[in-house]
Amino acid sequence: MRRGWRWLLPLSAIPVLALLAYGFRLSPRDIPSPLVGKPAAPFALQTFDGRPVSLDSLRGQVVVVNFWASWCYPACYEEAPVLERGWREYRERGVVVLGVDIQDKTEAAEKFIRDFGLTFPNAPDPAGKVSVDFGVYGVPETFFVDRRGRIRAKHVGAVTDRVLREQLDRLLAESS
Amino acid sequence: MSRRLKFVTGGAVIALALAYLIYAGVTQSAVYFVTPAELRAAPVAGKSYRLGGMVVPGSLAWEPQTLNLRFTLSDGQATIPVRHRGTPPDLFGEGRGAVVEGRWQQEGHFQATLILAKHSEEYKAPHDTSQPGYKELIKTLKGSQP
Amino acid sequence: MTPEIGAGAVMVALLLALYGSVAAAAGASTGRTSLLLSAQHAALGVFLLVTAALGLLVYAFLTFDFSVRYVATNTNLGTPFYYRITAVWGALEGSIVLWAWMLALYTLIVVVRHRQNARELYPWVLAVMLGVLAFFLLVMAGPAPVFQRMIPVPNDGRGLNPLLEDTGMITHPVCLYLGFTGFTVPFAFAVAALATGRVGDTWIALTRRWTLVAWYFLSLGLLIGGWWSYHVLGWGGYWAWDPVENAAFMPWLTGTAFLHSVMIQERRRMLKLWNISLVVLTFSLTLFGTFLTRSGVIASVHAFTQGSIGAFFLGFLALVVLTSLALIAWRWDALRAQGELDSVVSRESAFLLNNVFLVASAFTVFFGTVFPLLAEAVRGEKVSVGAPFFNLVNLPLFLALIFLMGVGPLIAWRRASLENLRRNFLAPVVIGIAAAALFRVAGTASALTLLTFGLTVFTATTLGVDFTRATRARLRMGERLGAAMGGLLIRHNRRYGGFVVHIGILVIALGVMGSHAWSVQTETTLKRGETTELAGYKVRFDGLAARQESNHFKVVGTFTVSNHRPNLAVLHPSKKFYPQEQAPIAGVDYRLGLTEDVYLVLGDFARDGSHATIKLQINRLVSWIWVGGVIITLGTVLAILPERRRAG
Repeated sequence: MRRGWRWLLPLSAIPVLALLAYGFRLSPRDIPSPLVGKPAAPFALQTFDGRPVSLDSLRGQVVVVNFWASWCYPACYEEAPVLERGWREYRERGVVVLGVDIQDKTEAAEKFIRDFGLTFPNAPDPAGKVSVDFGVYGVPETFFVDRRGRIRAKHVGAVTDRVLREQLDRLLAESS
Repeated sequence: MSRRLKFVTGGAVIALALAYLIYAGVTQSAVYFVTPAELRAAPVAGKSYRLGGMVVPGSLAWEPQTLNLRFTLSDGQATIPVRHRGTPPDLFGEGRGAVVEGRWQQEGHFQATLILAKHSEEYKAPHDTSQPGYKELIKTLKGSQP
Repeated sequence: MTPEIGAGAVMVALLLALYGSVAAAAGASTGRTSLLLSAQHAALGVFLLVTAALGLLVYAFLTFDFSVRYVATNTNLGTPFYYRITAVWGALEGSIVLWAWMLALYTLIVVVRHRQNARELYPWVLAVMLGVLAFFLLVMAGPAPVFQRMIPVPNDGRGLNPLLEDTGMITHPVCLYLGFTGFTVPFAFAVAALATGRVGDTWIALTRRWTLVAWYFLSLGLLIGGWWSYHVLGWGGYWAWDPVENAAFMPWLTGTAFLHSVMIQERRRMLKLWNISLVVLTFSLTLFGTFLTRSGVIASVHAFTQGSIGAFFLGFLALVVLTSLALIAWRWDALRAQGELDSVVSRESAFLLNNVFLVASAFTVFFGTVFPLLAEAVRGEKVSVGAPFFNLVNLPLFLALIFLMGVGPLIAWRRASLENLRRNFLAPVVIGIAAAALFRVAGTASALTLLTFGLTVFTATTLGVDFTRATRARLRMGERLGAAMGGLLIRHNRRYGGFVVHIGILVIALGVMGSHAWSVQTETTLKRGETTELAGYKVRFDGLAARQESNHFKVVGTFTVSNHRPNLAVLHPSKKFYPQEQAPIAGVDYRLGLTEDVYLVLGDFARDGSHATIKLQINRLVSWIWVGGVIITLGTVLAILPERRRAG
């Protein structure tokens, strides 16, 4: 074998490594949900405090719809303070954070809300209809709905301050 | 035939046989991942699919005596009626994610041979599935939109 | 304090390992023994620190220290004592600690065993081992920290995944990791051989036992995994070609190939390039396996979690692969063969074919496992291939391997004469064909089953022929039967240890064949008192009961199994409801037999206990797989014994 050909050996490994690296691009955290860009399905729920909340009533505001459960540990536990912080910071600017509790027990959910001192509205989805309409696959999942009621982004897994900020700043910058 | 040529030929024969086996294996057992919307758009009867979605509340019907299970899967855009013979796995229920493997039937429903219920926990790819009939989990299904 | 002390220990260990690795390499290239000694001390220090970290973690689990996040996530006040210990490696971060500890232990053993007997290679070996160790410590310090503080400290933890509360959980990961990490040693020696240019037999002779031990633990880990799957997961199977199962199987395949091809290098000085490449491949596959498990790149029931950890592993894997291959390219000339293959019909050829088929099998498993990625990258389609693919492609390869297993040990070196072939193989071939024919007459119709059986008998007969002939030779020299046979085993323990391992593989092959060909199952709903029948067994549903255990609520069914013997067994399949889990976990019950297992899973049931849906399986010859594992253990022990000289 002539001298140069031997170096084919290490080079031949590169395509395989590249393929594996490609596998990383397919991070499920940035799932392009089929619903992105589509109008969010209308819903009407009743919060744990007994107040009604519906998507129509929130038209004109940016809505963060966060699906969670008290047993979803540790991700929901990590993002609860993030959502509360985001709510407190952005509520004056026309943003509503709405938590939708799915597949959960009321006492456990209410304890969760108390423990984290959540002040944004939270409502149970007893029949699971809302989560089905949003194509929710697991918890936690967070949907960003713009002022016109269209789903603009979906985040899978615990949401972070940075993600929240980026999405909200983006959607708030748009005119109605 | 020189010895070297014999070895090269032998090696080539083995390589070709292997390639053929792999090709046959892939074409025979390839399973395509689809969402209800994707399946509705272009269903092919007899093709092996893995379909994922949420079990629509109110759609679940289980008859213990005949072992017939029926339910509907939805991804928010389209719905697919599914039929299965056998006990549903424990992690399976209305308003929860599920993945089914099987084939589309001419009659207009999906015949599932395997139900893989998704562990509706956080996106830690789960390390437990407990029921007869499934062991793998599909991670997610990309929408047809780019 | 625990989280901080533990994290600190990890950090110091990381720095020491990095220092040690660099010092050893520097000592190797400059020849300064002071650097080498310093590296040795660093290795000892790393071992002590990692042991301390592991000990701290175990202590935190035993004392319910929920200030450590990992403890809170993986145990709760109701978790039984022994499972609290095994919970240490029950999830991602802890599993890396266990891996690192084993590596540190192996490094220490290498220091003790080889600093005298491998003078030239040893410094580089140490450098590589500490380098790999540093990587795992880096993962522990960075993306997968096990000592994180939990604020606020919860009153109770989440609990261990109930499926992990099982004896298999205690042994399976430990064995697998001992196997995986064990292959680091031959790899380190291979790199040392390349670095020093001593690519002859030295590094192979030194690592023979390491390879055997690592291979054995990997085999054991795979078998225990199969057993665990069989008796816990409730689907009645032991192998599903799950991506993570495949990830452990691939290094086993190439490791087995390596185990055999080194014998060719020892005898004929051939295959040097092949051997070095094979050990690099095996080690890379162990890294790949751990990458697959922890990165979420390919979905699997075993996969831990995603995050940056996958990128870390991929980066390290790339580093290892590219550096090793570059070293091989550099030493290409020295690796060229000194001997040549004389004939296709020879032992060298049989071993080479064995290697080719094993590596081909590893390739097909690899291909099938990454196929989803490939399909998506090339065609944008989301496809995967399942068990049928792997079974279809691997079956011919495995059958060929069984055949070669019979041919290899007996066929002559260099060039087998017709006389040699006749003497060794005529009887086994005839007996193999006769056995298959008998089987056919007895009622088996499947060509595949007949072929498998025939080949198995053929190979078993060759082993018998060889052993008988050797014993007879000794008898003719005046020895008594017992002494002759015992003497053979001890004197040629490598050869006969290998034979015993082969017998174990044959038994496993028969078990797999039987379970696929002859197992039956049914699913049915029974009213209380009703009976169902399958394959001569009657199963009667007697009732349901419920009770509270330490950390779960259990519903148990009572079923009476009879065949020609009434009340053969009473089985109690159950459903366990763990508070932290969304859905119940099924508990399988079974009655194992040498040829038949009765396997029962409780599916749905009525709340009032009036009826229950069950899945009943009669699995055949599955127990042979576990028996085969025991035989392999015996064979490995025999093969590993120190070689005796003439006397005795």
